[in-house]
Amino acid sequence: MKLHRIFAVVLRYLYLFKHSLDRLSDAFYWPTIDILLWGLTSLYFQKFTPDASIVVLVLMSGILLWLIVWRGQYEITVNILEDLWNKNLINIFVSPLKFSEWVLSFFIIGIVKAIVSLIFASLLAFFLYKFNLYLYGFYLIPYFILLITTGWWVGCLVAGTILRFGTRIQTLAWTAVALLSPFSAVYYPLSILPPWAQKVAAFIPTSYIFEGSREVLEKGYFDVNKVIVSLILNIVYLVIAIYYLRKSFNKILEKGLVKLY
Amino acid sequence: MDALKVLDLTKKFGPKHNPFVAVNRISFSLKEGEILGFLGRNGAGKTTTIQMLLGIMTPTSGEIYYFDQDFKTNREQIMEHVNFSSTYTNLPWDLTVHENLTFISYLYQIKDRKNRIRKIVENFKIEKLVNQKLSELSTGQLTRVNLAKAFINYPKVLLLDEPTASLDPEVATYIRNFLLEERKKFHVSILLTSHNMREVEEVCDRVIFIDQGKIIADNSPLVLAKSIEISHINFLIRDGLKRLKKYVNTHHLASETEGRYFTVNIKEKEIASFLKEIASLGVVYDEVSIDKPDLEDYFLQKIKTGGIR
Repeated sequence: MKLHRIFAVVLRYLYLFKHSLDRLSDAFYWPTIDILLWGLTSLYFQKFTPDASIVVLVLMSGILLWLIVWRGQYEITVNILEDLWNKNLINIFVSPLKFSEWVLSFFIIGIVKAIVSLIFASLLAFFLYKFNLYLYGFYLIPYFILLITTGWWVGCLVAGTILRFGTRIQTLAWTAVALLSPFSAVYYPLSILPPWAQKVAAFIPTSYIFEGSREVLEKGYFDVNKVIVSLILNIVYLVIAIYYLRKSFNKILEKGLVKLY
Repeated sequence: MDALKVLDLTKKFGPKHNPFVAVNRISFSLKEGEILGFLGRNGAGKTTTIQMLLGIMTPTSGEIYYFDQDFKTNREQIMEHVNFSSTYTNLPWDLTVHENLTFISYLYQIKDRKNRIRKIVENFKIEKLVNQKLSELSTGQLTRVNLAKAFINYPKVLLLDEPTASLDPEVATYIRNFLLEERKKFHVSILLTSHNMREVEEVCDRVIFIDQGKIIADNSPLVLAKSIEISHINFLIRDGLKRLKKYVNTHHLASETEGRYFTVNIKEKEIASFLKEIASLGVVYDEVSIDKPDLEDYFLQKIKTGGIR
């Protein structure tokens, strides 16, 4: 792997970010809307049940942590779509760039943008509702890593599918990760889910993180086991997803990259 | 040493029991400093071959060597010294020319990056465009930016897909001269496709004709053109156009008329007797010129004789 090539791809997307207002709004607009909407809703609930102050914490925490998953996935799939829309994949792959460097650059962009979005959203949540995301302290680091890893493997699966079937299924880039959210129990405890959904949730790495994060908020207890299970599941899924993306890429090499547009 | 060597390259699409063979066991080489024209009709297999040479399509079988190194196992090192430009691919639209060249330059290990970009921008006369987004450029300007991108890594081998398509004649001439100059200075080996036969004759040392995935001719443009015996005689007729037409039809010669301009295709060795005979018919002309057969004639003859269908 060569750093200058990874940097080149990252640079290409950062330039795009600079020029593209809609991409900028993605990073700030939706988090703002979510925080305003759910923050006000939880304040309303609190009026009727004064001891429900935890509601604001749980909702804000859910929104901010889910943002990490979403950005990780979004940056992979939308950046691949950008290259398809721009017919730019050929220019990238007639250079010495390796497939692994290309994928890694998406991961890096995901981290950069997730951090930017998260800082912005956490400041907004603090300013509006006095919610301090950083009360998780150092626990936030493993949470961040595991959540963004989930975003990555979902992103790789969606990107691989888009490469195989073309841009006609591009809406997956914006919608796919949402499929995980009900099973991740982002805003509610897992016990609320029906039994069959709880069984599904057991295979979703983010469910352990959101459940664990609520335990930190409610009981001040950090469950290492949940983090380990989430880590194992994430590693397994990430390996499968990268393999699938590589296979999809090989598939289009069979037809020729030109056939992509 | 060959800059590029292709052995039995084959690409098949579709089901194994009944595949469509787009490229059928072609073998050729590109010498150091050579400019090779890669010609054929649309769908002949040119783009498929180029894609395989660039590693953006997997061959069904066959071998590709650059600088005596196997492309399959040394792609990364090889592509440091190879580049490509096509009228049919794009760089990112939302980025400026300078941003595009900058990010592309990082893909290659280019020393003195800033100077290289400045120099290449000068070479392709795109100084005034550097801060413009690609979406704001004309097709001709985009072609120049694509070419600038192709030269950014001091390539030893360049694959150019219709490099001067959509350029105005002045810029196209400049680009052709630039290619010849680069070859002279740096021994760049160039494989180019073009539908402009004049251009191919002007810049190519050798041409390969491909048809239905097979190489049907491989020689210098001059030799290929000479293999065609037919010359064109162009007249500006003053008197006797009808008699001339009648004579041409009787002798089954191909001809074209546009007003008083008349062109007849005839074997070179028969020109003298033809002129003598039409003089005896009382055909009078104000101007006459003879065009020797060129690559286009070769191409057209191949189509006619079924070499290219």
